[in-house]
Amino acid sequence: MLDNKNDDIFLSRWINGELSPEELDEFQSHPEYKHFAKIKAGSDALDLSDYDIDTALSNIKSAKSNSIENHKKPVIKLWPYAAVAASIAIIFGLFFFNTNDSFTSSYGEKLAVTLPDGSEMILNAKSEASFDKDNWENNRTVSLDGEAYFKVKKGSRFTVTTKNGEVTVLGTEFNVQSQSDYFAAVCYEGKVSVSNTNEETILTAGKGYQKIAKSSSVSWTFEALEPSWINNISSFRSVPVKYIFKELEEQYNITIDTKGIDTSIIYTGTFPNNDIDVALKTVFSTLGLQYQLQDDKTVVLDK
Amino acid sequence: MSDSKNSTCDEQAFDNFFKSHAKLLRSYLYYKFGDLDQAEDIVQDSFIKLWSNCAKVPLDKAKSYIYTVATNLGISIARHQQVKFKHQNYITQRKSDVTNESPEFVMLEKEYMEKLKNAIADLPERQREVFLLSRIDKKTYREIAELSNVSVKAIEKLMHKALLSLRKKIGNI
Repeated sequence: MLDNKNDDIFLSRWINGELSPEELDEFQSHPEYKHFAKIKAGSDALDLSDYDIDTALSNIKSAKSNSIENHKKPVIKLWPYAAVAASIAIIFGLFFFNTNDSFTSSYGEKLAVTLPDGSEMILNAKSEASFDKDNWENNRTVSLDGEAYFKVKKGSRFTVTTKNGEVTVLGTEFNVQSQSDYFAAVCYEGKVSVSNTNEETILTAGKGYQKIAKSSSVSWTFEALEPSWINNISSFRSVPVKYIFKELEEQYNITIDTKGIDTSIIYTGTFPNNDIDVALKTVFSTLGLQYQLQDDKTVVLDK
Repeated sequence: MSDSKNSTCDEQAFDNFFKSHAKLLRSYLYYKFGDLDQAEDIVQDSFIKLWSNCAKVPLDKAKSYIYTVATNLGISIARHQQVKFKHQNYITQRKSDVTNESPEFVMLEKEYMEKLKNAIADLPERQREVFLLSRIDKKTYREIAELSNVSVKAIEKLMHKALLSLRKKIGNI
């Protein structure tokens, strides 16, 4: 019975319907009974969302088809296929010179690209991304220089490589920024793994990662649902001011003369990507600097 | 490799094995580590690992192999990040066609369900695992005991404790 301290499996027998009729009768008149009955009824109403087992299996198949080739299959058998593949490749090569698709956004431009599996990539200004369209099913890898926001369809591993490090996911939304020696990744949904030569970090939704040159990396948390630049606002968080100048130059196609400015000052703030006057004013006045825009091209300091 | 029917390298055998074990493995990992998306990723990675080691793992060892690999993956991820059990991941379902619903349940309010979910999320890992495998996945105590290599009695004790903890946590509502 419930009050018997020695019976330490009474409730598990009850919830499994293993009590004798007498025991059950007795338990039902116990004041505690209704509370436990409620727990049972409530937990029986819980369920897990459905698991699409066929999709899950085909994801595994696409991931493992890579490894099959180095697993078995004698080399000789591949020859006829290779020959056919090669001739097809030559014929198609005449029409499509480059199977490596690459996209480049210019100054102040945003570019939305739909990847072969329906995943989305939005490039920020002055960024370049390329991927192998034909081998996409086996190898979801994008090379990136600049900044881009990704909405990845669930499936096999998806990798963004940059010269500062790699970001790997299975299906999620995230932002990657890699400029000279500045590297940042921000995760908006699901989770991503960020790795560079020294370390590997897992980011869950609402977490960011940033590494500048040789200094140690920092992480932070936030609540936004997508990066601000999608809505024409550039934002920075504890970043040396030289990267802010670089972003201004890329958004507005201008040159900033940094002579006499300490470009290692740490800056946190935002500026709009569609109004150069407001943008320059926002950045320079917070730094306490007087400036002038010459011929819409060059920003110089007022001495 | 001598008997391909009993080898996980046989594609048919692998598919069948996946279909009969993936779902429960996913539930098990979710209850244990608290994140359904992560559980699905781990299921995928573990089966890929099984495939690449298929020559070494006969079919009758595959189940315990896959649970060991998956649990280790889960633990190594958990070491990097403390996951709070995400009770939003599972759904509440009113089974209107079930007639043996107790009258108490009909009166249960959303508030009670929230309280119950929170209480389950706060259970110690092993109690939660046993409680949910039994109540959601409808696994018998024997089947649950086999998953984690302990006695049926131990599972029954955990279930009893889980119910007492839930009762204490929920209070009189």
